[in-house]
Amino acid sequence: MELNNTEKKEICSFDKNIVRNILVAKPDKYKLLETISHRNREIINTGSSLSYSPLSFGEDIICLDFKKFNRILDFNKNEKTITVEAGITLIQFLNFTLKHNFWIPQLPGYPSITLGGAIATNAHGKSCSTHGTIRNSIKSILLFHKINGWMNLSEKENKEIFDLTIGGLGLTGTIVKITFNLTNIENTLFITKKKKIKSVEECNKVISNYNNSSYFYSWHKADNIKNFGEGIIFENIIDKKKIIDFKGFKDKNYKLKPFLFPVWNKLSIKLCNLLYLYLNRLSTEEKTESFLKVIFPFYSKESYFNFFGNNGFTESQLLISESKINDFMSEFKNIFKIHKPTITLFSLKKMSGEQSYLRFEDNKVCLTFDLIKNNSSNNFMNEIDNLCLKYQILPSIIKDSRIPKNIFDKTYRYANDFREKLNKFDKKRVYKSEVSKRLEL
Amino acid sequence: MSYLIIGASSGLGRALAEKFAKEKKNLIIVSRDERDLTALKADIEIKYNVKVEKIPLDFSSFNEINQKLLKEKMFQNLSGILFPVGFMHEKDNFDISEEDLKKLTFTNYLSIVHTINYARKCLNKQKLSIVGFGSVSGLIGRNLNMNYAAAKRSLESFFESMSFDEKLKDMNIQFYTLGYLDTNLAFGKDLILPKGSTQKLAKIVYQNINVNLKKTFYPYFWNIIAVFLKLLPFLFLIKLYKILIK
Ligand SMILES: Cc1cc2nc3c(=O)[nH]c(=O)nc-3n(C[C@H](O)[C@H](O)[C@H](O)COP(=O)(O)OP(=O)(O)OC[C@H]3O[C@@H](n4cnc5c(N)ncnc54)[C@H](O)[C@@H]3O)c2cc1C
Repeated sequence: MELNNTEKKEICSFDKNIVRNILVAKPDKYKLLETISHRNREIINTGSSLSYSPLSFGEDIICLDFKKFNRILDFNKNEKTITVEAGITLIQFLNFTLKHNFWIPQLPGYPSITLGGAIATNAHGKSCSTHGTIRNSIKSILLFHKINGWMNLSEKENKEIFDLTIGGLGLTGTIVKITFNLTNIENTLFITKKKKIKSVEECNKVISNYNNSSYFYSWHKADNIKNFGEGIIFENIIDKKKIIDFKGFKDKNYKLKPFLFPVWNKLSIKLCNLLYLYLNRLSTEEKTESFLKVIFPFYSKESYFNFFGNNGFTESQLLISESKINDFMSEFKNIFKIHKPTITLFSLKKMSGEQSYLRFEDNKVCLTFDLIKNNSSNNFMNEIDNLCLKYQILPSIIKDSRIPKNIFDKTYRYANDFREKLNKFDKKRVYKSEVSKRLEL
Repeated sequence: MSYLIIGASSGLGRALAEKFAKEKKNLIIVSRDERDLTALKADIEIKYNVKVEKIPLDFSSFNEINQKLLKEKMFQNLSGILFPVGFMHEKDNFDISEEDLKKLTFTNYLSIVHTINYARKCLNKQKLSIVGFGSVSGLIGRNLNMNYAAAKRSLESFFESMSFDEKLKDMNIQFYTLGYLDTNLAFGKDLILPKGSTQKLAKIVYQNINVNLKKTFYPYFWNIIAVFLKLLPFLFLIKLYKILIK
């Protein structure tokens, strides 16, 4: 096949904030990956395009869709390793590994995300307080770079590029193959326990003592300053008693397509929050839940995103020191009172790891909230940016497509390190995206 | 016994390899780039627990085919040969280079015939299914991919001729004339008609693998379009085309 087809497409970031007309190429052979890369001046790798920020596309940049590279290349049960191509989705991956009672515990929360995308964003899962980010499960990577060619990356080989690539937003080249160290998982059923809490501050106190548990996160009502933060802590524990045979997951291809008009507004959110809170209070304190429900909480609940309509939303994810949460929250509530943004979701979990380069990772508390996009939320978020500087908070550039360069530069201490090393590795700076251009990476 | 799939590394070939392996059939897969074959072999063997042999070769070269593929013992142990192989060229018109013209004709027609003729000679009591894939581009003459279309039309004629073979009792002959499929060949093309699914086609091919004689279009709606195209006089079609272009 000597043809080099590209498709013109309108693409938008998952939060619907940035829309571009782009060209996509979808190689299905190794030679084609090389040819397309060599023919185009500026490239960006694309997985499932499920990033909230425009990480996998950009104006006048060819998108290299990697989904056809989704094969399992090696599986060593004794050494507990697996090698896969980077376009494999989480559900395809799990359908194989769970049959053998293995997985990697740092899986982000939607099954059609690709492992290439997860690595390039150094993704984390629900158990990030214990298991950290996906970086901890990676043994080695095979990278293809238009100028530097094929490279094996690991702690022992090309370590500097290995470190730049994990969480490197696809800017170091195409991650082609990945070898993971697998972790045992005894069952695909979880027991979910619930605990009521009155505020975010109380939640912080409670979760700081959850040292023996791997999977916990909280949900809070944040639609009103009165009772702000009232909510529930969920704790998931792998059920080691009622062991079930893993039968495989069906990829149901639920639609992530915005409604014609937004359903979320102050009233609908208030009602849903109330309903959710009371249903959870009424239901039993402990119940058994499936793997999909626990690990991919939005799977089959895509309406939550679709209800924002074409206007989209803003998601902010912040890493805050445990000791600063209370002060931060009190200022947060003050600016909430002033700007009155509509917060549709508010959640907390603990995270572990070491921050470096562009990685969203640290031994801190991870606070996530979604907002309906409008003037008041924009003003509110501008003030949150200032709080990030004041409290040395790390905002996620993967989730928040709005973060300005000056805030990024001041909050990501190692951003310049990343820039310098990337420019040394790739003097022509071939791999670029909307985000990398905005942040001048 | 195994199935030999020529052009297995992507598109329909890969879908066929996956389907046949899922049905626990051992495979011999052929394609140009060993890297693609290695990845496919590993994936299939790990997932479906079947045996896969890979033969990297350039299917446009009789030399390579003779040296690496045409092995009597291997052919005597085949249950079927599938040819989801195709080669297109961006500049497939009157100005095509000699080398590219050869490549096009060999890959899309001559090498397939050469392989089938060899397989026919090796028949050893087994029933052998031979599955070919044509293209709707070969229905009538055209101004795009003209040599590709000509080769595909020749191939169709060759498969039709095989139906008269006295050895037909030992062979199943199947030929699918394909419209656009969801493969890289059609990626990015503005098409009026919908693309067919390679996975669905692979399922159909598998279901029909033991049918003695089969000739159809895929996607099926091409069966109707083809009847009309054949009914209309060629000169009329040319005139219609010129009016539409204007
Ligand atoms: C509903 C939902 C829930 C989520 N939950 C979580 C969560 O719990 N934790 C978390 O950390 N994240 C989460 N995310 C974010 C998600 O994990 C990341 O945005 C991820 O990168 C998306 O993967 P993708 O396959 O869609 O990649 P894309 O969005 O297409 O690409 C993302 C980045 O990866 C790069 N990339 C993709 N493939 C390759 C490759 N082969 N080689 C090199 N670079 C590549 C791209 O260039 C881009 O920079 C969630 C997202 C959604 C939509």
